[in-house]
Amino acid sequence: MDWKRDLVERLRKSVPGGYRAAGPEASEPTALAGIALCAVGELDHAQRAGNWLAAIQSDDGSVGVSAAQPTPCWPTSLAILMWKAFGEGNNADDYQSNIQHAIAWALADRGRPNKRQPHVGHDTTLVGWSWAADTHSWIEPTAMFVLALKAVGLSQHERTREAVRLLVDRLLPAGGCNYGNTIVLGQTLLAHVQPTGLAMMGLAGEDNGDSRIAFSLDYLERKLASEPTTASLCYGLLGLAAHNRRPAEADSWLSAVYERVVSQEVSLYTLALLALATADEYPLSPDQDRALAGLSEKAWNQP
Amino acid sequence: MNQPHQNLEDTPRLNRRTLLATGGVALGGLLAAPWLRGVLRPRASVFIAANQRYDGSLAATIREGLLAVGAEPQGFRDKRVLLKPNMVEPTRHRPHMTTHPAVIVAAAEVFRGWGAIVTVGEAPGHVRDTEMALAESGVAAALAEANVVFADLNYEEVAWCRNRGRQSMLRGFWFPRSVAEADYIVSMPKMKTHHWMGVTASMKNLYGVLPGIQYGWPKNVLHHAGIPQTVVDINASLPSLLTIVDGIDCMEGDGPILGSLKRMGLLVMGANLPAVDATIARIMGLVPERVPYLALAVNRLGPIDESRIDERGEAWREVASPFEVLDEPHLRQLRRDALGLSVT
Repeated sequence: MDWKRDLVERLRKSVPGGYRAAGPEASEPTALAGIALCAVGELDHAQRAGNWLAAIQSDDGSVGVSAAQPTPCWPTSLAILMWKAFGEGNNADDYQSNIQHAIAWALADRGRPNKRQPHVGHDTTLVGWSWAADTHSWIEPTAMFVLALKAVGLSQHERTREAVRLLVDRLLPAGGCNYGNTIVLGQTLLAHVQPTGLAMMGLAGEDNGDSRIAFSLDYLERKLASEPTTASLCYGLLGLAAHNRRPAEADSWLSAVYERVVSQEVSLYTLALLALATADEYPLSPDQDRALAGLSEKAWNQP
Repeated sequence: MNQPHQNLEDTPRLNRRTLLATGGVALGGLLAAPWLRGVLRPRASVFIAANQRYDGSLAATIREGLLAVGAEPQGFRDKRVLLKPNMVEPTRHRPHMTTHPAVIVAAAEVFRGWGAIVTVGEAPGHVRDTEMALAESGVAAALAEANVVFADLNYEEVAWCRNRGRQSMLRGFWFPRSVAEADYIVSMPKMKTHHWMGVTASMKNLYGVLPGIQYGWPKNVLHHAGIPQTVVDINASLPSLLTIVDGIDCMEGDGPILGSLKRMGLLVMGANLPAVDATIARIMGLVPERVPYLALAVNRLGPIDESRIDERGEAWREVASPFEVLDEPHLRQLRRDALGLSVT
């Protein structure tokens, strides 16, 4: 069987699922798998992911990391993306209430800003999203929420705009991202592929001439040629694809990784990342023209 | 659906018989209530081995060191031993940042030889791609060859444990299953400077047992609650602890990530982590009493005063060699030479 078809087949059988093959179901892998299944038109199977996420959504609209752990709530962003992708694929308003509650939670949730500190390079006053409640904003959760808000037509919302500024501010001078710091005590931190890929996804479609964005895309191209590991490869490819720079070798890299990972027990998380990175079309394009009913910028900007 | 998370308060902890069976280790500080270790067992042993190499007979050295600090091999039979290396942000270009795979495999060999069930576990603190952390550090290949299981602590099911240290405002901790179910946790840090704390060794390394899925990347929940306070709280709340410090190729300067290589050739071991970390600070030319988390640990988790630490193997003065630290006020005050003390 063609490896891409085999991948989708495994994905269908595994959703909802977790970070380990035999591990408990978790929100991030399930949401990513749902988005990937929507991208290949497997809506019946994607709905299992959507229903699972809806079942664990808290009354305040947030989605925790698993059914057993309602906090922290950073996967709320991914649940929004999954439900929105399902609605797009199904041309219907499924999960609209879930999305609206989740957006309300997301817009109220704020990473903790700090006073500017001379030994820290980034602008600590900018507000994005954090991993856990009442902690500082970091690149990956902020990028996830930027993607979610853009997907539902809130690209111009003040929270999205500030978060985009944060993502640019956290890029390293020569390109790429650390987990979120840039310069500490005079030293520039190390770049990594996964946060860089996510940041590039969040910055797709932005009219921003900051040279660090171009440097970051160059960084991803260089690093992906050196056989990165699964999650890094997938996020790196997605970051490049978001800027129409998916490398010609992408499928051969993914095929090689797929062959390796399925030789042992493979998690839904890994399958979902591979499926997203394999999609013929970049699966997380901002859809600014198709905001959900009732989600106008004006409505959400009102106090 | 998910399995409901465990409450660690409900899980069996070391009983009296187990403690008796591991009496030698208990002498080093393994008492049922970690909070009472320092009070009831005010002395601790620390073993230092010099002239060590990654291609040398590390397992023999580790076995000798653990026995010297009181470990009794029969006490480990059928026990679950979790080896916790430091893989905070690995890159193959900076191997002196992370615990060398040869030390991890040698420790696994020793505990397996004593009949233990050995797992290596880590929750890399700065990177979500654990596969990358394993590959860049060389740990993946080494564990595969030695047939040792790795537990990704960032994404395991979790169990709640009350904060037994109570130095921070955190009421408790979410520990991954492999941590909650371990009989012994062996902290296996790299000997490094730390640009906020001065030194990072066995106690600070245990930040890496907390899952990123709950605490973030970095584990910012802990930072906001106070680094020294949470270091003490985590150490006080974990099951029985041992440490084997990789002090062969070390890091000085802007540790724990961007510092420079400093070759020391040491392995340092003990069953009382504050005593071991205090000894390491002395070797590095720092004043342990001024390292914030060690100052908090005194009389709570163990001794750091030199007079209460029994030296086994080499004497620290024989192997001491001052580490460069950043020229920052909060670090300057840690240096022994700045206080007019002898560094060797």
